[in-house]
Amino acid sequence: MIDNVHHQHSTSHEPQHDTPDAANSTPTPSTTPPPTSTAEPPGADRPPEADALIPVRMLNEFTYCPRLGYLEWVQGEWADNLETRQGTFGHRHVDKPDRKSISAPKEPADAEKQDGDVIHARSIMLAADQEELLAKLDLLEIDGDRATPVDYKRGKAPDIPEGAYEPERVQLCAQGLVLRENGYACDEGVLYFIGSRRRVVIPFDDELIARTRQLVQQFRETARAGAIPPPLDDSPKCPRCSLVGICLPDETNLLREAATADTPPTKDGLRRLLPSRNDALPMYVQDQGVMIGKSGDRLTVKQKGEQLSSSRLIDVSQVSVFGNVMFSAPALRELTIRGIPVCHFTYGGWFHGITSGLTHKNVELRIRQYATAADPAGSLDIARRLIMGKIRNARTLLRRHLGDREAPVLRQLNEYHRRAGHAPTAETLLGLEGMAAKEYFAAFFTLLSGRHEFDVNGRNRRPPRDPVNAVLSFVYSLLVKELTVTLQAVGFDPMLGFFHTPRYGRPSLALDLSEEFRPLVADSVVMTVFNNGEVTGDAFIERAGAVTLTDAGRRSVIAAFERRLETEITHPIFGYRICYRRILEVQARLLARCVLGELHEYPSFCTR
Amino acid sequence: MRQVHLIAYDIADVKRYRQVYKAMCGHGDPLQYSVFRCELSEIELHGLKETLWPILNLAEDRVMIVDLGPVEGRGDDCIEYWGEPRVAPPDRAATIV
Ligand code: SF4
Repeated sequence: MIDNVHHQHSTSHEPQHDTPDAANSTPTPSTTPPPTSTAEPPGADRPPEADALIPVRMLNEFTYCPRLGYLEWVQGEWADNLETRQGTFGHRHVDKPDRKSISAPKEPADAEKQDGDVIHARSIMLAADQEELLAKLDLLEIDGDRATPVDYKRGKAPDIPEGAYEPERVQLCAQGLVLRENGYACDEGVLYFIGSRRRVVIPFDDELIARTRQLVQQFRETARAGAIPPPLDDSPKCPRCSLVGICLPDETNLLREAATADTPPTKDGLRRLLPSRNDALPMYVQDQGVMIGKSGDRLTVKQKGEQLSSSRLIDVSQVSVFGNVMFSAPALRELTIRGIPVCHFTYGGWFHGITSGLTHKNVELRIRQYATAADPAGSLDIARRLIMGKIRNARTLLRRHLGDREAPVLRQLNEYHRRAGHAPTAETLLGLEGMAAKEYFAAFFTLLSGRHEFDVNGRNRRPPRDPVNAVLSFVYSLLVKELTVTLQAVGFDPMLGFFHTPRYGRPSLALDLSEEFRPLVADSVVMTVFNNGEVTGDAFIERAGAVTLTDAGRRSVIAAFERRLETEITHPIFGYRICYRRILEVQARLLARCVLGELHEYPSFCTR
Repeated sequence: MRQVHLIAYDIADVKRYRQVYKAMCGHGDPLQYSVFRCELSEIELHGLKETLWPILNLAEDRVMIVDLGPVEGRGDDCIEYWGEPRVAPPDRAATIV
């Protein structure tokens, strides 16, 4: 059925605001494309008003897949893929023979007289209140009172009787309806396919008009209802959809099935539609007094003029700085524009701040997040799953390393796990979590070689009083940083949690989500660095009873933490290989699906 | 997923040469003068095109792009160096300074 798949986002224009004002100031194809860094999600400033006019481009997306239209228009999600980018670029480099007739006027929305009586105007924004549509027209040919919209499409004209796939035809027809409401006669439109240099005429017959109006109606109702349409089922449209990593179609379908089925559904054949790893990686800067600057499209770190490192900006996913590190204004500006967050730690490793651009707006998610946090029952449901996940993973870590499958602590943790599932109040849950942690840490510390040398005496913090606790606290701080960045990127407010109460300067939601990952990511890193001798006694300094890591010690711990996040494992539910960093993101997205009501239960991440 | 690309160019004009060099540095590392090793995904390669095309004058300049395959596959094994590359290809790991 591949034939039915049209090129997703072939319609995407350069990122732009869907407001008339912005449209007027948006330059049409110029010779210099904007640097990728300034690309901004379309409609980043558009409120998700259910009553707003529907942009015709969004109608195209809704026709392709109702969920896609909803994600983009109502939730304001946006992601580039190759096809969206090529679509943008294609609009700028229309083939030479046509250049003359479509060359960009200096001012968009200018009208220029051509040889005949046909007036060509480009980049026009028109509203139609009756049709409830807002149209951005690539090119408009006006002959007397007759108007013909022309829309540029990337790629080749498909070989089908209709001349083009439905989303494109509907989008064009919607433009026609907008023109009609604005007083023009309009019975057909033109799709210009850049790849095959072909003009395909699409007549606006009754059938297409009825279908277009029906889709407008459906889109309107879907947006008003505030219920995201379900993912397509095993559709060939998904692999080419730019939002596939946000939508998680197969994962969502599997979890929804699992919720209703008696037997767990099979995970065989679940397509891994998102990459197993991220291309860009974090950067940590802890040398005191260094300056982070920008040189071309690279980020440089210099100390007294000497360059310590230089990285391509496309390789940097986030920057963490410890203590006294400086930024040049161009570097900081570039980072915020690209949506690369900067995480600030004290020299001692306390995560205390984040600098980020104005990049995400999933207002709907935040509204539901606040509502869930304000509802004790809803919060407790999620908190239970988080703590159960934590206890289960803690137990798994001990079971793997204690070498005694009958150890009493395993049975106790099982019991706490069971009780956490029925905890009647948040206080009970907090108590159970505390007791489980106590049992767990007592056993955990026995797994560390050199624990005698380090004089570990239970879990302590603020300040940590022994090396093991110093590393534990530091790694938790890194984990919470990672989750704060992830939650923010997904659209959550990291400050408001469901289990941890909000407190000044504390990213409660990141702490919530960190629970199930503490054993898996943080504690296992602590075991690795001590048991492999990656940190030894000289990696610590003690001051007034407080133990902290030296620069070198911290470097080793960060390296081990990053290696852990890059470790690929087989996902216990979805069955594909994926690294821990991606798992954090997928869990954050699943938590969002749960908060938005699409999943009934938060599926905590537990390894076997 | 990223592939290793070997990108070489001749640029006829000094000003354009500098612009191209700078743009290339944002996408890879110079192994030799005018020869870069670039780890790029499809979309990043497209980004490079968007950056270079407005600079180039293809009546006088030329660019060659060779896709050497996945970063963790054949990508690097098929390059043999004699003498040190100008900038050593980076390891894939978080930067810790
Ligand atoms: S991934 Fe599939 S289901 Fe999800 S929005 Fe895209 S096309 Fe629709």
